[in-house]
Order: sequence, then structure tokens, then C-alpha cells
Amino acid sequence: MLWASCPTRGGRLRGVEGADEELMIAYRDGNAGAFETLYARHRAGLFRFVLRSVKERGMAEELFQDVWMRVIEARNRYAPTARFTTWLYSIAHNRLIDHWRRKGLSVVDLENVDVEGNSPNPERQAEARQSLQRFAKALEALPPAQREAFLLHEEAGMSVAEIAQATGAGEEAAKSRLRYAIAKLKAAVDDG
Amino acid sequence: MADERDPKVSQRYRELGTEEPPRHLDEAILAASRRAVHVHPAPLVPPTGRRRWYFPVAAAAIIMLSVAVTWHMQVEEGPDPDGYIASVPAPEASREAPAEKKIEMQAAPQAAPPVAASRMEERARESAPVAGARAPEAARADRALGKIAEPTTEPPEKWLERIAELRKEGRHEEADKALEAFRKAYPGYKLPESVLRK
Repeated sequence: MLWASCPTRGGRLRGVEGADEELMIAYRDGNAGAFETLYARHRAGLFRFVLRSVKERGMAEELFQDVWMRVIEARNRYAPTARFTTWLYSIAHNRLIDHWRRKGLSVVDLENVDVEGNSPNPERQAEARQSLQRFAKALEALPPAQREAFLLHEEAGMSVAEIAQATGAGEEAAKSRLRYAIAKLKAAVDDG
Repeated sequence: MADERDPKVSQRYRELGTEEPPRHLDEAILAASRRAVHVHPAPLVPPTGRRRWYFPVAAAAIIMLSVAVTWHMQVEEGPDPDGYIASVPAPEASREAPAEKKIEMQAAPQAAPPVAASRMEERARESAPVAGARAPEAARADRALGKIAEPTTEPPEKWLERIAELRKEGRHEEADKALEAFRKAYPGYKLPESVLRK
């Protein structure tokens, strides 16, 4: 796999070094390698963000591809007025909004979460699976805006201000959404 | 906002899995990114969809039209071997034109000449020297149509004077020929005694 050695979170430079914004500018100016690096950095996080925002994996893949295609198409208009991550996830956010409008609001399907238990004890493994499924259900049950704020926070490492910018919400609203989401998920963790 | 993060929640979230996009998706996206930068720069107003073919077709149509119009104008004007068009002042010619056309309508032969020839003749009439304007209308029309071989620019008075001189000089044969031509050119013109054979 092309990114077999690439850390799944945080990413790793591949080929061309530099900040995201510099890489995007380099790509805009014709450097295809810069895009590969950018893609390697953000592919996994963005994929999970999309996957946990829609119900079907097939749909998630379609949306994921569409977001990157929009990045490619918009390269000539790119100006580093904000972090690349904010720009990328705002594209994803808009694409998800379109999707939800067309399909109706859907929730994350985390029924079949695989638990990679390290414990050799079957009882402990079953317990861990139940605990994780409770967490998954709690995440699934979050209102979409709160879930999106949480996913942006976790997957893209965004601050409240950046979440607000990416989603077009006010900072107070973004902060409130994130706080509620974490509080509900924390309750699910504590219950387990 | 680091203080919002809860380590336990983050940890549990990580345990949900580390799904990644499938390989074929990676390859498709990267291939598209490479194709995009190898494409030539887009035009300022990129044509899309059906409008994509407008510009080449419009350019071809303009070129075709220009060539056709130029060629047509050349064919229309044709050669001007006598140089009349260039030598005659335009205002005179234009003043003559309406009357000449009227005459042509009245005196046109029943068997009209071919179109191209008649156009040439019409042009010749329109650009004929002004001196001929004093001759009788019918005679001028005939002359213009090329029916008369005699000098067409000479006024009838001068012509008759020349015939009279020939008589005086005793060159009656030449005078008779000239008189015959004059009669053809100006039928019904009252002839003075001096030109008639004595």
C-alpha cells in the first residue's frame, strides 16, 4: 500500500516537504508531488470524518473522492487565507450538507464496530466490545452539528475557532456544540 | 481549544477504528491530481458543455464568410479593359445613370444579351464620356449597346461637318459610307444639303 508506512493520524511527509499551505500553492503552480504529500497527510482523517458522518461506506467513499476532486478543481483559486485543513474540511462540510439535503439526515452506523482487544480473556473482550458499542451509539446519537464539531476536533485537530470557520458557524455556537458532544460522549465512557 | 479535549473520550474514539480509504480510491484521486497539472492553463472564460465548440466554429465561419465576400466582389467588378470606370469622373457618371437606365428600358432589344454582357454594357453606359449626352437618346442607347461601329464620341454636328468636307474634297465614296453610318447612328436626323451627294 502506498501509505502502509504512513501514520494514520497526523500523517507524514511524502516526497515534498513543507507546510500544508505551501504544498497547496506548489500544487497550484504545477507540482504534482506536493499534492501527494498533502493527500498522504489528510486522507485518513478526512475519510473517517466523512465515513462517520454518513451511513454507508460506499457513500462515504464517493463523498471523500468528491471532496478531493473539488480541491483539485479549485487549485487555481486557492489562496492561503486560512489553514489548509480548515479549507479542506469546509469543502467536506459543504459537500456533506448537500448530501444531507438530498438524502435526508442520516446517522452514523456503528453497529458493527470491530473491537481489537488485546486481552486474551474472552470476558474482558466482550466487556470492551460492549463498552465501545455504547460509545459508538452515543456518537451516533449526537445531533449532526455536535457530531461534526467533535469529528473536526478529533480528526482534523481543529480548534473551536477553526471549527467555526469550517462550518460557517459562530465561535460560541461551535464551542457549545463541541462541549455538549464531549460531555455526552464522556458520559458514555464513564458508564462503561 | 486544548482544554475542550477529554483524554478518555479521545482514547475511546480512537478505539473505534482507523479506517482508511481503499487503494483504488487513492489511485484515482492521485491520477486526477496529476492529470490536472499536466493540462494546459485554462482560458480566461473556460467554455463548458455545448459551448466548447462555439469558438472554433465561429472563427471558421468568419474566415469562410470573408473569403466568400472578397471573391464575390472580385467577380462582380470584373476587368475594365477600356479604363472607363477609372477615367470618368464619378459625379458625371452618377448623374447620367438614371436616365441611361430609363433609356435602356425603352430601347432594349427584344432578345436581351446574356446577363454578364448586359452588366458590362450597363456599366459602360454609366461611365460613358459626357460628350455623348447631347446625342439623341435612342441613338445613344444603340451606340452604347455596341450596334454602331462608327466613332461614338463624336457629336452629330461634327460628324456631318466631316462628311461635308469629304464631299468638298470629292471623296464621295468615303462620304457615302460615313453618311450611311451616320444614318444608322442617328436615324431621322435632318441632314443638311452639304452632306448629301450632289
